[in-house]
Amino acid sequence: MTHRQADMVRRFTARHVVNHWIMLVCFVGLVLTGVPQKFPAQEWAKGLILLFGGVVRVRFMHHLLGTVMALQLVWHVVESVWRHLVRRLPMSMIPRVADVQHFLQQVRFNVGFVEAPPAMDRYTFAEKLEYLALVWGTAVMVATGLLLLYPVRWSLLVPGEVILAAKAAHGGEAILAFLSILTWHVYFVHIRHWNTAIFTGRLGEEAYAEEHSLELARIRRGDMPLSARPAAGRVIGFALITLAVVGGVLALMWWLRWSPAAVAAVTIAGRG
Amino acid sequence: MDSPRRERPTYILAAALLTMLVRPVLADDKACLECHGSRQRIADAAEAMELKLAPERLAKLVVPESEAMTPHAGIGCLDCHPKAADVPHPAGMLVGNPCVTCHDDELRQLNRSAHRDPGGDANLRAQCWACHGAHDLLPLRDPRSALSPVNVASRCLACHSKQEYLGGVHGQGVQLAGLDFAATCVSCHGGHDILAPSVASSRVARRNISFTCGKCHGRVAEQYRRSVHGAALTDHDNPDVPTCVDCHRAHGTVDPFLPRFRLASPEICGRCHGDAALMQRYGLSTGVFTTYVADFHGTTAELFRATSPDQPLNQAVCYDCHGYHDVESVKAVGQAEINRRLLARCQGCHAGAKFPFLSAWTYHYVPSPTKYRLIYYVRLFYRLAIPGTIGFFLLYIAVDVWGRRRRPQ
Repeated sequence: MTHRQADMVRRFTARHVVNHWIMLVCFVGLVLTGVPQKFPAQEWAKGLILLFGGVVRVRFMHHLLGTVMALQLVWHVVESVWRHLVRRLPMSMIPRVADVQHFLQQVRFNVGFVEAPPAMDRYTFAEKLEYLALVWGTAVMVATGLLLLYPVRWSLLVPGEVILAAKAAHGGEAILAFLSILTWHVYFVHIRHWNTAIFTGRLGEEAYAEEHSLELARIRRGDMPLSARPAAGRVIGFALITLAVVGGVLALMWWLRWSPAAVAAVTIAGRG
Repeated sequence: MDSPRRERPTYILAAALLTMLVRPVLADDKACLECHGSRQRIADAAEAMELKLAPERLAKLVVPESEAMTPHAGIGCLDCHPKAADVPHPAGMLVGNPCVTCHDDELRQLNRSAHRDPGGDANLRAQCWACHGAHDLLPLRDPRSALSPVNVASRCLACHSKQEYLGGVHGQGVQLAGLDFAATCVSCHGGHDILAPSVASSRVARRNISFTCGKCHGRVAEQYRRSVHGAALTDHDNPDVPTCVDCHRAHGTVDPFLPRFRLASPEICGRCHGDAALMQRYGLSTGVFTTYVADFHGTTAELFRATSPDQPLNQAVCYDCHGYHDVESVKAVGQAEINRRLLARCQGCHAGAKFPFLSAWTYHYVPSPTKYRLIYYVRLFYRLAIPGTIGFFLLYIAVDVWGRRRRPQ
C-alpha cells in the first residue's frame, strides 16, 4: 500500500517523533535489562545478561534508561501544563465518556449489530487507553524504582515492607506493560495498519479516514485548534506549578543524595 | 593408628647407619650387577644365553648400582631372590613376599585394611612394591621416593580415579606450591591401615571426617562440632547434616577464599535447604533458598555465578548472616538477638542502615495473607491484573480481526 505524497496527511510534529523515539529506546532497553533480573534462575536470562556484559553493567544501563524515562515523565507534565493551561490547547489525549461509547460501537460494528463504525477524533479509544496505561505505568515504575534504588534511605520514612511490595509491583507492572505493548500496541499500529506516522509524521489518507474521520473532516475545513496568547495570570500559574514539580524532584534527589544507590560491586583488577 | 609412622624414623636411622657401615655394595651383589648393572650388560648377557627378551622386559631387569644404595643397602640381592645363585636363573625368582621378613607389623595392618586380599588369604591385593617400589626404594622424606608427599598421589591414582585431587587446593598445595605438609591421600585415608568410608572406624567415615580434617584444621573442626550441623552428626550420629566434605568436597576441594566458592555457596546450602523431603523432617522451610535467590543479594549472586564466576561478590551470601562452621539454629538464638546481629551485618555494607531497615527483609518468610500481607496482595493483584488485562486485549483483538475479515475492504 504505497501512497503518493499528496495522499499523506500530517499527523505528528517533530516533538511527537522525538518523544516517541526516546520512549521507544528507553522502553526496549528497560525491558531487555530488567526482565532477566526478574528471572535470574532462567538460562535465557543468564545468556542475555552475559550478552550485555554482566549484571553490574545491566543494572547501570537499567538505572540510566530509567532516569531518562523519569525525566521524560517530568517533562511531559511540565509541557502539558504549558500547552493546556497557558496555550489552552484541547486535551485531546484525555479519555472521555465518548471513548467508552466508541469502544462499544466498534465492538457492535465488528459483531455486525450496527452498520457504521464509530467516527473518532484525533485520538481513538485504543490510543487513549495506551496513553493512559503508559502514563500510569511510567509513574508506577518510576516511583517503585526509586524505592528500590535507595532502600536504606526510604526505610527511614516508610515501613520496609513497602519497599519489598514495590519490588513486587515493579516486576508485575513491567510484565503487564511489556505484554500490553506486545498485544495492544503491536496489533493497532503494526498489524491492523502498518502505521509509520510516529516516525514520518504523516499517515495515509485512507487510514486517517478510517480511524480519525472527525479530525480529517476538520483538517479539510481548515478548522485547526488555535493556541491562545499566553495570559499573565496563567503564565504565573504555570511558573508556580513548574517550580513545585522541579523543586519537588530536586528536593527528593537532595534527600536521597547521601544514600548510595546500592553497594558498589567489587571490580576485578585489570578489568576496569 | 599413628604408631607405624612414628616408629619409621627409627628404621630409617638404623638403615642409614647400616648403609654407612656396609658401603660399598656387598660383594655378592657386585656379581649380580655385572649383568644387571646396565642396559647394555643385561642385553649382552641375554644374548650370550640366547634368550629372546622384549625391550620392556629387559628394562625391568636393570638395577643401576646407584639404586642399590637405598635404605635396604644392607640387604643383598640373594636375601630377596634366593634362587638367583643359579645361573642361568630358574623361574620364580621371587617366592612369596620377602618384605614381611622384617615388616610383619605392616602386613598385619594391611590384612585388616581395605587393601587385604578379597579371598581372605594372608596375601595382599597388591604387593608392597606396587606402592613402595622395589630396588629404587628411598626414605619417604626423599622427594624422589615413590611415596614422598609430591609422588604419593600418582601411586594411588594409578588405581583410584580421584584425579580431581590434583586440581583441588590440597593437591595443588603439594604439587605446585611445594607444601609437603598439605594433605595427601595418606593424610586422610591412612597408609597400611586404610579403611573404606563405610567402616565405622575409618578415618573417612562420616562421623570421623571432622576429626581427620581437624588434624590440620583444628579450630575450624571444633567450631563445626559445636554448630547445629556438627553437633547433630558427632553427638547424635545424624546422617542428614553436612560434614566438611559435603560443602568443601573431599578430593577436588576448592579454595574457599576464591570468588568461585563464594558464588557457589548458596547452591551448596540449597542442596539440602531446597530439598523439601529433607527439610520437612526438621520443620524447616525450603523457602529459605528461594526467597534468598528472589532477593537482590541472591539475584546478584546467581547472575554473577552464571556469567562471571571469578567476579568477587560483596553482596551477602548465606554464610555472611548465618555463619559457616559455627552455624546456629535460629530457633535457639531468639528474635531480639537475631535482629541485633542482623543489623550489624547490614551495616557492614549499608552504611547508615538503621533498625527500620530490617523490616525491608522478610526473614525468608514467603509472603502470605497473614505474614507480609502487603507484598502478598501486590503480587496477587498483578497475578490477576496481568492475565485479566492481556486477556481482554486479546479478546478485543480477536473480535476486531473477525469483524474486519467479514467485511469487504
